[in-house]
Amino acid sequence: MAGGGLLRIRDLKINIPKEAKALADQMLKDLENSKRPYLEAVKTSLDNSFYNSKVGYLTPGDKRVRTELNVSSVQKLARVVFMLEILIRNLDIGAVNTKRELYYICKGLIKGDKQYKPLDFEDQVESDSIIDFIGDMMQVYREELNCFANDRGGQTYSNQLIVEETMADGSIARIDLSSLGTSPYMPKNKPQSLKLKVKKKVDFALVIESEGTANTLHTMGFTKRNNCILLGAQGVPSNGVRGWCKLIQDQLDIPMYFFGDLDAYTLQNIFRTLKAGSAASLIRNADFSAPEVKFLGVLPEDVKKYDLFCYNVKESDPAEARSLKKARDVLENDPFFIDKKNKGLSDILKWLLKEKIRCEQQSYFSVDPKDPIKTEKIILEKIKNKSYV
Amino acid sequence: MSKITKSSTAEYFAKNLQQVGFSSPLKAVLTTLKEAIDNSLDACEQAGILPDIKVEIAKVGAGSTKNTDLIKIVVEDNGPGIDADDLAKVFGEYLASSKFGRGQCSRGQQGIGISAATTWAQMTNARGAVVISKTKNMRKAVSAQVDVDIKSNTGIIKNKESIDWTKPNGVRVEFVMDGRVQLNGDGGLVTYVEGTVLVNPHLTIEYKLLDNDWQKVERVSNEVPELPPATLPHPHTFKLGEFITHATLFGKTSLSKFLKTGFSRISDPTINDFVKNGLPKSLVEKPVTSLSEENFKSIFTAIQNTELMAPSTKSVLTVGEDALSKSIQRLGKVDFFSVVTRKPRICDFKPVVVEVALARFIDRGGETDSPVQLLRFANRVPLQFDKSGCAITGAIESVNWKSYGLNQPKDSLPLGPYVFAISVVSPFIKFKNASKETIDASDELVDEIRKAAQQAGQKLSRHIRKEFKEADLERKLAHIEQFGPILVEKLAKLSGANDARRKKAEDGLRKILGRDSQEAISQLEDAETKLNKQKQREAKKLGFDLDEMSADGAESFSEMDSNESVDKGTTKATTGTSTQIGTQKTTEKTTEKTTEKAVASTQKSTTIATTQKSTQKK
Repeated sequence: MAGGGLLRIRDLKINIPKEAKALADQMLKDLENSKRPYLEAVKTSLDNSFYNSKVGYLTPGDKRVRTELNVSSVQKLARVVFMLEILIRNLDIGAVNTKRELYYICKGLIKGDKQYKPLDFEDQVESDSIIDFIGDMMQVYREELNCFANDRGGQTYSNQLIVEETMADGSIARIDLSSLGTSPYMPKNKPQSLKLKVKKKVDFALVIESEGTANTLHTMGFTKRNNCILLGAQGVPSNGVRGWCKLIQDQLDIPMYFFGDLDAYTLQNIFRTLKAGSAASLIRNADFSAPEVKFLGVLPEDVKKYDLFCYNVKESDPAEARSLKKARDVLENDPFFIDKKNKGLSDILKWLLKEKIRCEQQSYFSVDPKDPIKTEKIILEKIKNKSYV
Repeated sequence: MSKITKSSTAEYFAKNLQQVGFSSPLKAVLTTLKEAIDNSLDACEQAGILPDIKVEIAKVGAGSTKNTDLIKIVVEDNGPGIDADDLAKVFGEYLASSKFGRGQCSRGQQGIGISAATTWAQMTNARGAVVISKTKNMRKAVSAQVDVDIKSNTGIIKNKESIDWTKPNGVRVEFVMDGRVQLNGDGGLVTYVEGTVLVNPHLTIEYKLLDNDWQKVERVSNEVPELPPATLPHPHTFKLGEFITHATLFGKTSLSKFLKTGFSRISDPTINDFVKNGLPKSLVEKPVTSLSEENFKSIFTAIQNTELMAPSTKSVLTVGEDALSKSIQRLGKVDFFSVVTRKPRICDFKPVVVEVALARFIDRGGETDSPVQLLRFANRVPLQFDKSGCAITGAIESVNWKSYGLNQPKDSLPLGPYVFAISVVSPFIKFKNASKETIDASDELVDEIRKAAQQAGQKLSRHIRKEFKEADLERKLAHIEQFGPILVEKLAKLSGANDARRKKAEDGLRKILGRDSQEAISQLEDAETKLNKQKQREAKKLGFDLDEMSADGAESFSEMDSNESVDKGTTKATTGTSTQIGTQKTTEKTTEKTTEKAVASTQKSTTIATTQKSTQKK
């Protein structure tokens, strides 16, 4: 932060407009004294990530990215204060926007005043990086700047769960998930602000990598037969899914399992992000990870036990080769996989590197093709036998 | 068992014209033109005549084969002319050549090309070459049609007559054949003509291609290149079979005499070395005719096992940096260029000289994101096909051009509006095929071409670096002007600061960014100094008066690339000699610009203040 150390913020104890004003004031003071003002943000990369199993998620180290004013950075700094003004105004009047909408708001303002023309963004990537920088710099979530993405995933099914949301006008929206039929409930934007209630004690939550499979299980009666919460992650979990899982874990205090493919990508990109967050989101992992989640499968032992159908990993395929390379890399450098507590997970990665095969979650459907609920039976059996990592 | 027949050389080539450059109608036209011009240039060179060549290519109807036109190709020169008796041999007989295997850097080597053109014309239009020739000793010119008798590989003269011709001497050859014409691009006729112009500074050429107007390019050198004398082959370039055949040419001479007169780099002491390395002493004075195959084998092995002096490099010739520098300006308005002529080297026991000219033209097309135009030359003949398989292309692609300021995708030609001309001259160029389209890549040759390209690249990089610094300064000054006021305005607004604070902040910002632009200015000046210094050194090397050159540039070349001093080839990179007027102007302009910019930076600082004031008023 300008002219001084980083402000310690979290739990939204800070007043963002006030902080922004202090920051601008400090930068102006530096300029008045012919000193180069600078902006500092947490360095969000793996080499600045720390993992403590007691904390449960990746936390930032001391490294900072500093942008000091010079002829090259003056454009970025001008863009930052330009965007900051828009965001502060949004907070002031309670307006929300997506990143793309902000991109167009900037374009509109620039069109309206010739002086701003040099600031113009050529595409959204440029304005997005400014928004992300502001978040990292002030150590606030994008959502706290009233900027929301259209988060995908998190489709949730349950016969027991009731979600309460306080609306802008103060009224409370109450959603009983059991009344939605085969359609899911989807948390959006700030899932952390929702209130959860249950009609009956819920035994577990099951996060399934494939949203399609989650819907199949629900339609076939999984949520009827089991007191549970079933949700689809839809690939790498978005902020919405991550915040939602964190909320379920915190408010309901129930065991949570993740069921996905047995491959390096699922383990290091999907499951690790859900459980401990990511290096790119270091400042938000505390509220966007569910450290208690267990990896239910597919496990290497399941492949043998159920004689599951596997694919060979082709190193000639660039995506798969990259994934394997990354697996080797994370085993050496990712503090999450290095931690002894997660040895079970790193052992699976090692097994994958050795065997060079991958097994999809849907392969459970090959075990007894005539039994439509065989997959449900295997999942329940695994939970019962504590066959998870 | 089927009957074994014997075919003539002409029969072989008639059936395999694709091997000698006639694989498509497009290539047929280009190859014919190329062979005719090669012959004219070689003939003029041998006779010490400055060549004046006239070329005309026209569509005269539809071709007899599908998708072709009937194309007329006329090449007329002022060379020594061909005796009437030799016309049949020159145009109608394969492998009848004055140049075959004699170890000279002439363009033509085997005597295949022009006979192949005659065959193509004869096959597609039932008429061979129509030739007019006159030597100095002839009162009247001879005109005749020459066809190839394919069965016997001899030329047949038809319609021979004596005619009046205004020229004192020369040859005019006309082919009418099926073909197609492409003017631009790698395989285009214009590209060929330009390439020929570039590496033949002594050539004046007048040409009319299809419906375009007549063009004339005057010579920029009045010196006829002197073809170095033929060189004897080096024994290490021979294979055993060749060695034995070579010996039979010498009849009843002794082995020692055969070795000393048939090869270069063999003397009496060398023969003693051969003996030490296993050549039986008893064979030394034996006549070669009495040697057995076993004897030859042991002699050959002993020679191969003995270290010999590398062959002489005297047999190669160069266009020369000065001539190349002048010649390159004939292709268009040059922005800047660099020329390198390496010293002759031995690659694979053969003398080779590599010359490189890199240039950026003002008025030639070429996108910044398309590959550079690569012109390849072997013995001063443009190579226009099968670029990817050529040693020259390979060498250029293997250079890291990024370090010289050019963009370059991995393992590819660099990008930008540049022309890269690379010439390889050697009496023994190893081509990949008889049509002489690509040079075979040996490690030594590729390495030599690479070195030449790198040297030229280093020179080029000074120009590019200066331009880059110029652009950098411009960008930085623009940044200050554009973003400074916005930054202060927004900060003041966010912090709720009053006008006094805002004014003070503006002053502070100006000071900070002023320092930065000063730094950029001094970096640009530094780059210019280095460029000027380079120009001075080159001028000195070429004997120009240093005082006439721009005076600045007294600094030492601290960041000169280290391998530059290792490479001994002479180099010239230029914008500053008296002959290169166009480029000199650019330099002057840049110097002015820099001064202007230095002034402007102060002025621009004022602009910030002014803009601020006007904003305040709002």
